Amino acid sequence: MEISSVITIARQELTVAIRNKWTIIFASAFGALVLVISYFGTMTAGEIGFQGFNRTTASLLSLALYLIPLVALMMGTQSFLNEGGDEMLYSQPISRGEVLAGKILGLFAAIMVATFVGFGIGGLIIATQADAGDFIGYPVFVALSLILSLVFLSLSILVAVACGRKAKAYGVSLLVWFFFVIFYDLLVLGGSLLFNERTANQFIFVSLFGNPVDMVRVAGLLSLRGGEIFGAAGAALLKFLGGEAQGITILVISLGVWVIVPFLISIRLLRTQDI
Amino acid sequence: MIDIRNLTKRFNGFTAVDDVSFEVRKGETFALLGPNGSGKSTILKCLAGLSQPTGGQITVNGIDALKNPRASRGSLSFLPQRVGFHDCLTAHEVLDFFCRLRNLPASRIDTVLHGSEFDFNGFSHKQVSELSGGMRQKLGLAVACLPDAPILLLDEPTVSLDPAGAIGFRHFLKALKEKEKTIVFTSHVLADVDMLADRVAVLVDGKLVALETIEALRQKTRDRHQTLEEVYLDYAKAN
Repeated sequence: MEISSVITIARQELTVAIRNKWTIIFASAFGALVLVISYFGTMTAGEIGFQGFNRTTASLLSLALYLIPLVALMMGTQSFLNEGGDEMLYSQPISRGEVLAGKILGLFAAIMVATFVGFGIGGLIIATQADAGDFIGYPVFVALSLILSLVFLSLSILVAVACGRKAKAYGVSLLVWFFFVIFYDLLVLGGSLLFNERTANQFIFVSLFGNPVDMVRVAGLLSLRGGEIFGAAGAALLKFLGGEAQGITILVISLGVWVIVPFLISIRLLRTQDI
Repeated sequence: MIDIRNLTKRFNGFTAVDDVSFEVRKGETFALLGPNGSGKSTILKCLAGLSQPTGGQITVNGIDALKNPRASRGSLSFLPQRVGFHDCLTAHEVLDFFCRLRNLPASRIDTVLHGSEFDFNGFSHKQVSELSGGMRQKLGLAVACLPDAPILLLDEPTVSLDPAGAIGFRHFLKALKEKEKTIVFTSHVLADVDMLADRVAVLVDGKLVALETIEALRQKTRDRHQTLEEVYLDYAKAN
Protein backbone atom coordinates (compact mmCIF):
# COMPACT_ATOMS: atom_id res chain seq x y z
CA MET A 1 0.00 0.00 0.00
CA GLU A 2 1.46 3.36 -1.05
CA ILE A 3 1.00 5.91 1.71
CA SER A 4 1.22 8.91 -0.67
CA SER A 5 -1.89 7.75 -2.57
CA VAL A 6 -3.75 7.16 0.71
CA ILE A 7 -2.86 10.68 1.93
CA THR A 8 -3.85 12.28 -1.39
CA ILE A 9 -7.29 10.63 -1.27
CA ALA A 10 -7.68 11.44 2.44
CA ARG A 11 -6.87 15.11 1.81
CA GLN A 12 -9.51 15.32 -0.88
CA GLU A 13 -12.12 13.61 1.34
CA LEU A 14 -11.40 16.09 4.13
CA THR A 15 -11.65 19.07 1.76
CA VAL A 16 -14.95 17.78 0.35
CA ALA A 17 -16.39 17.07 3.80
CA ILE A 18 -15.49 20.58 4.99
CA ARG A 19 -16.79 22.33 1.83
CA ASN A 20 -20.01 20.31 1.82
CA LYS A 21 -20.65 21.78 5.30
CA TRP A 22 -20.93 18.31 6.90
CA THR A 23 -18.05 19.08 9.22
CA ILE A 24 -19.41 22.51 10.16
CA ILE A 25 -22.91 21.12 10.79
CA PHE A 26 -21.60 18.33 13.04
CA ALA A 27 -19.19 20.66 14.87
CA SER A 28 -22.08 23.06 15.57
CA ALA A 29 -24.30 20.18 16.68
CA PHE A 30 -21.62 18.78 19.00
CA GLY A 31 -20.88 22.22 20.48
CA ALA A 32 -24.57 22.99 21.02
CA LEU A 33 -25.07 19.56 22.60
CA VAL A 34 -22.29 20.14 25.15
CA LEU A 35 -23.58 23.58 26.13
CA VAL A 36 -27.25 22.58 26.32
CA ILE A 37 -26.50 19.49 28.40
CA SER A 38 -24.17 21.37 30.69
CA TYR A 39 -26.54 24.34 31.15
CA PHE A 40 -29.90 22.61 31.36
CA GLY A 41 -28.71 19.25 32.70
CA THR A 42 -29.90 19.92 36.24
CA MET A 43 -33.13 21.64 35.30
CA THR A 44 -35.20 18.77 36.69
CA ALA A 45 -33.62 19.47 40.09
CA GLY A 46 -34.81 23.08 39.79
CA GLU A 47 -31.39 24.47 38.92
CA ILE A 48 -30.14 26.10 35.76
CA GLY A 49 -26.48 26.85 35.06
CA PHE A 50 -23.31 25.22 33.81
CA GLN A 51 -22.44 21.91 35.53
CA GLY A 52 -18.92 20.61 35.97
CA PHE A 53 -17.25 18.29 33.49
CA ASN A 54 -17.99 15.01 35.24
CA ARG A 55 -21.77 15.28 35.15
CA THR A 56 -21.79 16.85 31.69
CA THR A 57 -19.56 14.12 30.29
CA ALA A 58 -21.70 11.33 31.75
CA SER A 59 -24.83 12.84 30.12
CA LEU A 60 -22.96 13.51 26.87
CA LEU A 61 -21.74 9.93 26.70
CA SER A 62 -25.31 8.59 26.54
CA LEU A 63 -26.22 10.98 23.73
CA ALA A 64 -22.95 10.51 21.82
CA LEU A 65 -23.58 6.76 21.70
CA TYR A 66 -26.69 7.49 19.61
CA LEU A 67 -25.33 10.37 17.56
CA ILE A 68 -21.74 9.41 16.63
CA PRO A 69 -22.56 6.03 14.99
CA LEU A 70 -25.30 7.68 12.92
CA VAL A 71 -23.01 10.53 11.82
CA ALA A 72 -20.22 8.12 10.83
CA LEU A 73 -22.55 5.75 8.95
CA MET A 74 -24.17 8.56 6.98
CA MET A 75 -20.87 10.27 6.13
CA GLY A 76 -19.29 6.97 5.11
CA THR A 77 -22.17 5.93 2.86
CA GLN A 78 -22.32 9.38 1.26
CA SER A 79 -18.61 9.29 0.46
CA PHE A 80 -18.20 5.69 -0.70
CA LEU A 81 -21.11 5.73 -3.09
CA ASN A 82 -20.22 8.87 -4.99
CA GLU A 83 -22.28 7.82 -8.00
CA GLY A 84 -20.55 8.20 -11.35
CA GLY A 85 -17.42 9.64 -9.83
CA ASP A 86 -15.29 6.66 -9.04
CA GLU A 87 -14.50 5.11 -12.41
CA MET A 88 -11.72 7.60 -13.08
CA LEU A 89 -10.35 7.15 -9.58
CA TYR A 90 -10.28 3.34 -9.71
CA SER A 91 -8.70 3.39 -13.20
CA GLN A 92 -5.59 5.09 -11.77
CA PRO A 93 -2.53 2.94 -10.96
CA ILE A 94 -3.54 2.58 -7.31
CA SER A 95 -5.00 -0.34 -5.41
CA ARG A 96 -8.60 -0.51 -4.24
CA GLY A 97 -7.32 -0.89 -0.68
CA GLU A 98 -5.56 2.47 -1.01
CA VAL A 99 -8.79 4.09 -2.15
CA LEU A 100 -10.71 2.67 0.82
CA ALA A 101 -7.97 3.54 3.31
CA GLY A 102 -7.74 7.10 1.93
CA LYS A 103 -11.47 7.61 2.11
CA ILE A 104 -11.80 6.31 5.65
CA LEU A 105 -8.80 8.36 6.81
CA GLY A 106 -10.16 11.55 5.23
CA LEU A 107 -13.61 11.06 6.73
CA PHE A 108 -12.09 10.29 10.10
CA ALA A 109 -10.08 13.51 9.86
CA ALA A 110 -13.30 15.40 9.09
CA ILE A 111 -15.05 13.87 12.13
CA MET A 112 -11.96 14.68 14.22
CA VAL A 113 -12.16 18.33 13.14
CA ALA A 114 -15.89 18.45 13.96
CA THR A 115 -15.33 16.72 17.30
CA PHE A 116 -12.39 18.89 18.37
CA VAL A 117 -14.07 22.12 17.31
CA GLY A 118 -17.53 21.26 18.69
CA PHE A 119 -16.56 19.55 21.93
CA GLY A 120 -13.47 21.79 22.25
CA ILE A 121 -15.35 25.10 22.16
CA GLY A 122 -18.09 23.64 24.36
CA GLY A 123 -15.48 22.38 26.82
CA LEU A 124 -13.70 25.74 26.93
CA ILE A 125 -16.95 27.54 27.76
CA ILE A 126 -17.71 25.05 30.56
CA ALA A 127 -14.15 25.45 31.88
CA THR A 128 -14.66 29.21 32.19
CA GLN A 129 -18.17 28.98 33.63
CA ALA A 130 -18.07 25.96 35.95
CA ASP A 131 -15.80 23.75 38.01
CA ALA A 132 -12.95 22.66 35.73
CA GLY A 133 -11.28 20.49 38.35
CA ASP A 134 -12.79 17.22 37.18
CA PHE A 135 -12.12 17.65 33.45
CA ILE A 136 -10.00 14.46 32.97
CA GLY A 137 -12.98 12.34 31.91
CA TYR A 138 -13.87 14.86 29.18
CA PRO A 139 -10.86 14.28 26.88
CA VAL A 140 -11.25 10.54 27.47
CA PHE A 141 -14.86 10.86 26.34
CA VAL A 142 -13.74 12.78 23.22
CA ALA A 143 -11.14 10.08 22.46
CA LEU A 144 -13.74 7.31 22.90
CA SER A 145 -16.16 9.20 20.64
CA LEU A 146 -13.47 9.32 17.96
CA ILE A 147 -12.77 5.59 18.28
CA LEU A 148 -16.50 4.90 18.01
CA SER A 149 -16.70 7.06 14.88
CA LEU A 150 -13.80 5.11 13.33
CA VAL A 151 -15.56 1.78 14.04
CA PHE A 152 -18.75 2.98 12.37
CA LEU A 153 -16.87 4.52 9.44
CA SER A 154 -15.31 1.11 8.88
CA LEU A 155 -18.76 -0.51 9.10
CA SER A 156 -20.13 2.10 6.70
CA ILE A 157 -17.54 1.08 4.06
CA LEU A 158 -18.55 -2.53 4.46
CA VAL A 159 -22.22 -1.62 4.07
CA ALA A 160 -21.50 0.59 1.05
CA VAL A 161 -19.29 -2.02 -0.66
CA ALA A 162 -21.74 -4.85 0.05
CA CYS A 163 -24.83 -2.87 -1.06
CA GLY A 164 -23.41 -1.08 -4.10
CA ARG A 165 -26.34 1.29 -4.48
CA LYS A 166 -26.78 4.46 -2.44
CA ALA A 167 -30.45 4.10 -1.47
CA LYS A 168 -29.97 0.50 -0.36
CA ALA A 169 -26.79 1.41 1.54
CA TYR A 170 -28.57 4.22 3.44
CA GLY A 171 -31.34 1.80 4.39
CA VAL A 172 -28.91 -0.88 5.57
CA SER A 173 -26.88 1.77 7.45
CA LEU A 174 -29.99 2.76 9.40
CA LEU A 175 -30.63 -0.90 10.18
CA VAL A 176 -27.02 -1.30 11.38
CA TRP A 177 -27.43 1.78 13.58
CA PHE A 178 -30.75 0.52 14.97
CA PHE A 179 -29.28 -2.94 15.62
CA PHE A 180 -26.23 -1.77 17.57
CA VAL A 181 -27.77 1.21 19.37
CA ILE A 182 -31.15 -0.21 20.33
CA PHE A 183 -31.88 -3.79 19.34
CA TYR A 184 -28.67 -5.53 20.42
CA ASP A 185 -29.13 -4.84 24.15
CA LEU A 186 -32.71 -6.07 24.03
CA LEU A 187 -31.54 -9.20 22.24
CA VAL A 188 -28.82 -9.86 24.83
CA LEU A 189 -31.14 -9.22 27.77
CA GLY A 190 -33.77 -11.48 26.23
CA GLY A 191 -31.17 -14.15 25.53
CA SER A 192 -29.84 -14.00 29.08
CA LEU A 193 -33.27 -15.08 30.39
CA LEU A 194 -32.69 -18.46 28.81
CA PHE A 195 -29.73 -19.22 31.13
CA ASN A 196 -29.15 -19.60 34.86
CA GLU A 197 -27.69 -16.59 36.67
CA ARG A 198 -24.02 -17.53 36.36
CA THR A 199 -24.23 -18.47 32.68
CA ALA A 200 -26.39 -15.41 32.00
CA ASN A 201 -23.71 -13.13 33.52
CA GLN A 202 -21.02 -14.75 31.39
CA PHE A 203 -23.26 -14.47 28.35
CA ILE A 204 -23.77 -10.75 28.99
CA PHE A 205 -20.04 -10.12 29.55
CA VAL A 206 -19.04 -11.94 26.38
CA SER A 207 -21.82 -10.27 24.40
CA LEU A 208 -20.30 -6.91 25.36
CA PHE A 209 -17.60 -7.55 22.73
CA GLY A 210 -20.24 -8.02 20.06
CA ASN A 211 -21.34 -4.41 20.22
CA PRO A 212 -18.88 -1.49 19.85
CA VAL A 213 -21.48 0.92 21.25
CA ASP A 214 -21.67 -1.07 24.49
CA MET A 215 -17.89 -1.32 24.65
CA VAL A 216 -17.54 2.47 24.42
CA ARG A 217 -20.32 2.91 26.98
CA VAL A 218 -18.56 0.63 29.48
CA ALA A 219 -15.11 2.11 28.78
CA GLY A 220 -16.53 5.63 29.19
CA LEU A 221 -18.26 4.86 32.48
CA LEU A 222 -15.16 3.06 33.80
CA SER A 223 -12.98 6.06 33.00
CA LEU A 224 -15.47 8.54 34.42
CA ARG A 225 -16.65 6.92 37.59
CA GLY A 226 -14.80 3.67 38.03
CA GLY A 227 -16.28 0.24 38.46
CA GLU A 228 -18.48 1.12 41.43
CA ILE A 229 -21.09 2.65 39.12
CA PHE A 230 -22.06 -0.82 37.91
CA GLY A 231 -22.77 -2.27 41.38
CA ALA A 232 -22.37 -6.01 42.02
CA ALA A 233 -22.68 -6.93 38.36
CA GLY A 234 -20.03 -4.33 37.58
CA ALA A 235 -17.67 -5.80 40.14
CA ALA A 236 -18.02 -9.16 38.40
CA LEU A 237 -17.48 -7.44 35.03
CA LEU A 238 -14.31 -5.77 36.30
CA LYS A 239 -13.10 -9.10 37.62
CA PHE A 240 -13.86 -10.57 34.20
CA LEU A 241 -11.93 -7.76 32.46
CA GLY A 242 -9.07 -7.79 35.00
CA GLY A 243 -9.53 -4.36 36.65
CA GLU A 244 -10.36 -0.84 35.49
CA ALA A 245 -7.19 0.06 33.55
CA GLN A 246 -6.86 -3.40 32.03
CA GLY A 247 -10.59 -3.38 31.25
CA ILE A 248 -10.37 -0.10 29.34
CA THR A 249 -7.28 -1.38 27.48
CA ILE A 250 -9.03 -4.62 26.50
CA LEU A 251 -12.09 -2.69 25.34
CA VAL A 252 -10.03 -0.24 23.25
CA ILE A 253 -8.08 -3.13 21.64
CA SER A 254 -11.37 -4.90 20.89
CA LEU A 255 -12.67 -1.70 19.32
CA GLY A 256 -9.53 -1.73 17.15
CA VAL A 257 -10.55 -5.19 15.95
CA TRP A 258 -13.96 -3.74 15.10
CA VAL A 259 -12.21 -1.17 12.89
CA ILE A 260 -9.82 -3.57 11.16
CA VAL A 261 -12.09 -6.56 10.46
CA PRO A 262 -14.86 -4.72 8.54
CA PHE A 263 -12.16 -2.78 6.66
CA LEU A 264 -10.36 -5.97 5.57
CA ILE A 265 -13.63 -7.64 4.56
CA SER A 266 -14.50 -4.52 2.52
CA ILE A 267 -11.18 -4.67 0.66
CA ARG A 268 -11.69 -8.36 -0.05
CA LEU A 269 -15.21 -7.74 -1.36
CA LEU A 270 -14.19 -4.74 -3.43
CA ARG A 271 -11.30 -6.59 -5.09
CA THR A 272 -13.72 -8.96 -6.80
CA GLN A 273 -16.33 -6.35 -7.67
CA ASP A 274 -16.86 -4.48 -10.92
CA ILE A 275 -16.75 -0.71 -10.58
CA MET B 1 0.23 -2.54 -27.51
CA ILE B 2 -3.07 -4.10 -26.46
CA ASP B 3 -3.80 -7.77 -26.93
CA ILE B 4 -7.20 -9.20 -26.02
CA ARG B 5 -7.65 -12.96 -26.29
CA ASN B 6 -10.98 -14.77 -25.89
CA LEU B 7 -12.35 -12.08 -23.57
CA THR B 8 -15.65 -13.08 -21.99
CA LYS B 9 -17.67 -11.18 -19.42
CA ARG B 10 -20.91 -12.43 -17.91
CA PHE B 11 -23.18 -10.58 -15.46
CA ASN B 12 -25.69 -12.76 -13.62
CA GLY B 13 -26.05 -15.14 -16.55
CA PHE B 14 -26.09 -12.38 -19.18
CA THR B 15 -23.12 -12.49 -21.58
CA ALA B 16 -21.98 -8.91 -22.16
CA VAL B 17 -18.78 -9.84 -24.01
CA ASP B 18 -18.58 -13.18 -25.77
CA ASP B 19 -15.16 -14.63 -26.65
CA VAL B 20 -13.78 -11.46 -28.21
CA SER B 21 -10.19 -11.32 -29.51
CA PHE B 22 -8.32 -8.48 -31.19
CA GLU B 23 -5.10 -6.54 -30.89
CA VAL B 24 -4.38 -2.85 -31.13
CA ARG B 25 -1.00 -1.80 -32.50
CA LYS B 26 1.20 0.95 -31.15
CA GLY B 27 0.11 4.36 -32.41
CA GLU B 28 -3.15 3.00 -33.79
CA THR B 29 -6.55 4.64 -33.28
CA PHE B 30 -9.03 1.85 -32.81
CA ALA B 31 -12.81 2.32 -32.68
CA LEU B 32 -15.27 0.00 -31.00
CA LEU B 33 -18.58 0.32 -32.74
CA GLY B 34 -21.89 -1.26 -31.92
CA PRO B 35 -25.44 -0.67 -30.70
CA ASN B 36 -26.27 -0.07 -27.04
CA GLY B 37 -25.51 -3.11 -24.92
CA SER B 38 -23.13 -4.61 -27.47
CA GLY B 39 -20.26 -4.79 -24.95
CA LYS B 40 -18.12 -1.83 -26.06
CA SER B 41 -17.94 -0.13 -22.67
CA THR B 42 -17.48 -3.47 -20.89
CA ILE B 43 -14.38 -4.18 -23.00
CA LEU B 44 -12.94 -0.76 -22.11
CA LYS B 45 -13.73 -1.34 -18.43
CA CYS B 46 -11.96 -4.70 -18.54
CA LEU B 47 -8.95 -3.00 -20.14
CA ALA B 48 -8.97 -0.28 -17.46
CA GLY B 49 -9.13 -2.86 -14.66
CA LEU B 50 -12.60 -1.78 -13.53
CA SER B 51 -14.33 -5.00 -14.53
CA GLN B 52 -13.05 -8.49 -13.86
CA PRO B 53 -13.37 -10.65 -17.00
CA THR B 54 -15.09 -14.02 -16.63
CA GLY B 55 -12.54 -15.50 -19.03
CA GLY B 56 -9.77 -14.64 -21.43
CA GLN B 57 -6.51 -12.73 -21.35
CA ILE B 58 -5.64 -9.06 -21.60
CA THR B 59 -2.12 -7.77 -22.21
CA VAL B 60 -1.49 -4.02 -22.02
CA ASN B 61 1.91 -2.67 -23.06
CA GLY B 62 3.40 -6.12 -22.49
CA ILE B 63 1.89 -6.44 -18.99
CA ASP B 64 -0.65 -9.10 -18.07
CA ALA B 65 -3.50 -6.80 -17.01
CA LEU B 66 -5.28 -9.50 -15.03
CA LYS B 67 -2.24 -10.58 -13.02
CA ASN B 68 -0.77 -7.11 -12.57
CA PRO B 69 -3.61 -4.61 -12.93
CA ARG B 70 -1.83 -1.78 -11.13
CA ALA B 71 1.19 -1.80 -13.47
CA SER B 72 -1.09 -2.19 -16.46
CA ARG B 73 -3.16 0.85 -15.39
CA GLY B 74 0.08 2.82 -15.19
CA SER B 75 0.36 2.59 -18.99
CA LEU B 76 -3.10 3.91 -19.72
CA SER B 77 -5.64 6.63 -19.11
CA PHE B 78 -9.35 5.99 -19.10
CA LEU B 79 -12.17 8.44 -19.76
CA PRO B 80 -15.48 6.87 -18.68
CA GLN B 81 -18.81 7.57 -20.34
CA ARG B 82 -20.07 9.41 -17.25
CA VAL B 83 -17.48 11.59 -15.62
CA GLY B 84 -18.32 12.67 -12.10
CA PHE B 85 -16.24 14.84 -9.84
CA HIS B 86 -17.01 16.42 -6.47
CA ASP B 87 -19.13 19.51 -7.11
CA CYS B 88 -17.36 21.59 -4.48
CA LEU B 89 -13.88 21.23 -6.01
CA THR B 90 -12.52 23.52 -8.71
CA ALA B 91 -11.40 22.06 -12.03
CA HIS B 92 -7.81 22.90 -11.08
CA GLU B 93 -8.18 21.03 -7.76
CA VAL B 94 -9.53 17.99 -9.60
CA LEU B 95 -6.51 18.04 -11.90
CA ASP B 96 -4.18 18.53 -8.94
CA PHE B 97 -5.73 15.51 -7.18
CA PHE B 98 -5.14 13.18 -10.14
CA CYS B 99 -1.69 14.68 -10.67
CA ARG B 100 -0.73 13.75 -7.10
CA LEU B 101 -2.24 10.27 -7.42
CA ARG B 102 0.02 9.61 -10.41
CA ASN B 103 3.04 11.25 -8.71
CA LEU B 104 3.27 13.72 -11.60
CA PRO B 105 4.93 17.13 -11.33
CA ALA B 106 2.45 19.99 -10.79
CA SER B 107 3.72 21.53 -14.03
CA ARG B 108 1.76 18.83 -15.92
CA ILE B 109 -1.46 20.66 -15.06
CA ASP B 110 -0.30 23.81 -16.86
CA THR B 111 1.03 21.75 -19.77
CA VAL B 112 -2.39 20.12 -20.22
CA LEU B 113 -4.33 23.33 -19.65
CA HIS B 114 -2.30 25.52 -21.95
CA GLY B 115 -0.37 23.25 -24.27
CA SER B 116 -2.97 21.35 -26.25
CA GLU B 117 -5.20 22.15 -29.18
CA PHE B 118 -8.22 21.28 -27.13
CA ASP B 119 -9.47 24.30 -25.22
CA PHE B 120 -9.20 23.49 -21.52
CA ASN B 121 -8.78 27.13 -20.58
CA GLY B 122 -11.29 29.43 -19.02
CA PHE B 123 -12.72 27.04 -16.49
CA SER B 124 -9.81 25.80 -14.44
CA HIS B 125 -10.78 27.89 -11.40
CA LYS B 126 -14.52 27.27 -11.67
CA GLN B 127 -16.14 24.80 -9.32
CA VAL B 128 -17.37 21.56 -10.90
CA SER B 129 -20.93 22.52 -9.90
CA GLU B 130 -20.66 25.53 -12.22
CA LEU B 131 -19.58 23.47 -15.23
CA SER B 132 -21.96 22.31 -17.97
CA GLY B 133 -22.05 18.64 -19.02
CA GLY B 134 -19.75 19.43 -21.93
CA MET B 135 -17.27 21.27 -19.73
CA ARG B 136 -17.23 18.36 -17.28
CA GLN B 137 -16.48 16.07 -20.20
CA LYS B 138 -13.61 18.40 -21.17
CA LEU B 139 -12.36 18.23 -17.60
CA GLY B 140 -12.50 14.44 -17.80
CA LEU B 141 -10.42 14.60 -20.98
CA ALA B 142 -7.96 16.91 -19.24
CA VAL B 143 -7.62 14.39 -16.41
CA ALA B 144 -7.13 11.57 -18.93
CA CYS B 145 -4.36 13.57 -20.63
CA LEU B 146 -2.48 14.45 -17.43
CA PRO B 147 -0.19 11.40 -17.24
CA ASP B 148 0.75 11.51 -20.95
CA ALA B 149 0.15 7.75 -20.93
CA PRO B 150 0.96 5.80 -24.11
CA ILE B 151 -2.59 4.35 -24.23
CA LEU B 152 -5.87 6.27 -24.05
CA LEU B 153 -9.20 4.55 -23.55
CA LEU B 154 -12.13 6.85 -24.30
CA ASP B 155 -15.73 5.75 -23.76
CA GLU B 156 -18.14 7.83 -25.85
CA PRO B 157 -15.87 10.87 -25.54
CA THR B 158 -18.04 13.27 -27.57
CA VAL B 159 -21.35 12.28 -26.00
CA SER B 160 -21.80 15.50 -23.95
CA LEU B 161 -19.96 17.88 -26.23
CA ASP B 162 -21.62 20.58 -28.32
CA PRO B 163 -20.70 20.73 -32.05
CA ALA B 164 -17.82 23.13 -31.39
CA GLY B 165 -16.60 20.90 -28.57
CA ALA B 166 -16.85 17.81 -30.77
CA ILE B 167 -14.81 19.51 -33.52
CA GLY B 168 -12.25 20.58 -30.89
CA PHE B 169 -12.10 17.03 -29.63
CA ARG B 170 -11.42 15.66 -33.11
CA HIS B 171 -8.53 18.11 -33.54
CA PHE B 172 -7.29 17.10 -30.12
CA LEU B 173 -7.43 13.39 -30.97
CA LYS B 174 -5.63 14.02 -34.26
CA ALA B 175 -2.87 15.78 -32.33
CA LEU B 176 -2.59 12.76 -30.05
CA LYS B 177 -2.41 10.47 -33.08
CA GLU B 178 0.51 12.50 -34.35
CA LYS B 179 2.22 11.88 -31.02
CA GLU B 180 1.85 8.12 -31.70
CA LYS B 181 -0.54 7.52 -28.83
CA THR B 182 -2.49 4.30 -28.96
CA ILE B 183 -6.16 5.22 -28.71
CA VAL B 184 -9.17 2.97 -28.23
CA PHE B 185 -12.53 4.70 -28.28
CA THR B 186 -16.19 3.80 -28.45
CA SER B 187 -18.64 5.94 -30.34
CA HIS B 188 -22.07 6.03 -31.88
CA VAL B 189 -20.99 8.93 -34.05
CA LEU B 190 -19.88 7.34 -37.30
CA ALA B 191 -18.42 10.64 -38.50
CA ASP B 192 -15.94 10.47 -35.59
CA VAL B 193 -15.06 6.90 -36.50
CA ASP B 194 -14.66 7.75 -40.19
CA MET B 195 -12.48 10.75 -39.43
CA LEU B 196 -10.30 9.35 -36.66
CA ALA B 197 -10.10 5.56 -36.62
CA ASP B 198 -7.48 3.45 -38.35
CA ARG B 199 -9.40 0.24 -37.65
CA VAL B 200 -12.89 -0.55 -36.45
CA ALA B 201 -14.26 -3.47 -34.47
CA VAL B 202 -18.01 -3.95 -34.82
CA LEU B 203 -19.70 -5.61 -31.87
CA VAL B 204 -23.23 -7.00 -31.73
CA ASP B 205 -24.64 -8.72 -28.63
CA GLY B 206 -21.17 -9.00 -27.15
CA LYS B 207 -19.73 -10.75 -30.22
CA LEU B 208 -17.11 -9.36 -32.54
CA VAL B 209 -18.79 -9.44 -35.95
CA ALA B 210 -16.30 -7.46 -37.99
CA LEU B 211 -12.77 -6.18 -37.69
CA GLU B 212 -11.91 -3.90 -40.57
CA THR B 213 -9.57 -1.11 -41.48
CA ILE B 214 -11.38 2.14 -42.05
CA GLU B 215 -10.20 1.96 -45.67
CA ALA B 216 -11.90 -1.43 -46.13
CA LEU B 217 -15.10 0.01 -44.69
CA ARG B 218 -14.92 2.99 -47.02
CA GLN B 219 -14.35 0.66 -49.96
CA LYS B 220 -17.54 -1.22 -49.01
CA THR B 221 -19.49 2.03 -49.00
CA ARG B 222 -18.20 2.74 -52.51
CA ASP B 223 -18.82 -0.81 -53.81
CA ARG B 224 -22.32 -0.99 -52.39
CA HIS B 225 -23.16 2.68 -52.95
CA GLN B 226 -24.04 2.86 -49.28
CA THR B 227 -23.30 5.31 -46.51
CA LEU B 228 -21.12 4.26 -43.59
CA GLU B 229 -24.25 4.08 -41.43
CA GLU B 230 -25.87 1.65 -43.89
CA VAL B 231 -22.78 -0.57 -43.98
CA TYR B 232 -22.73 -0.59 -40.18
CA LEU B 233 -26.46 -1.42 -40.02
CA ASP B 234 -25.90 -4.32 -42.43
CA TYR B 235 -23.36 -5.76 -40.00
CA ALA B 236 -25.74 -5.30 -37.09
CA LYS B 237 -28.69 -6.89 -38.94
CA ALA B 238 -26.66 -9.82 -40.26
CA ASN B 239 -25.94 -10.88 -36.69
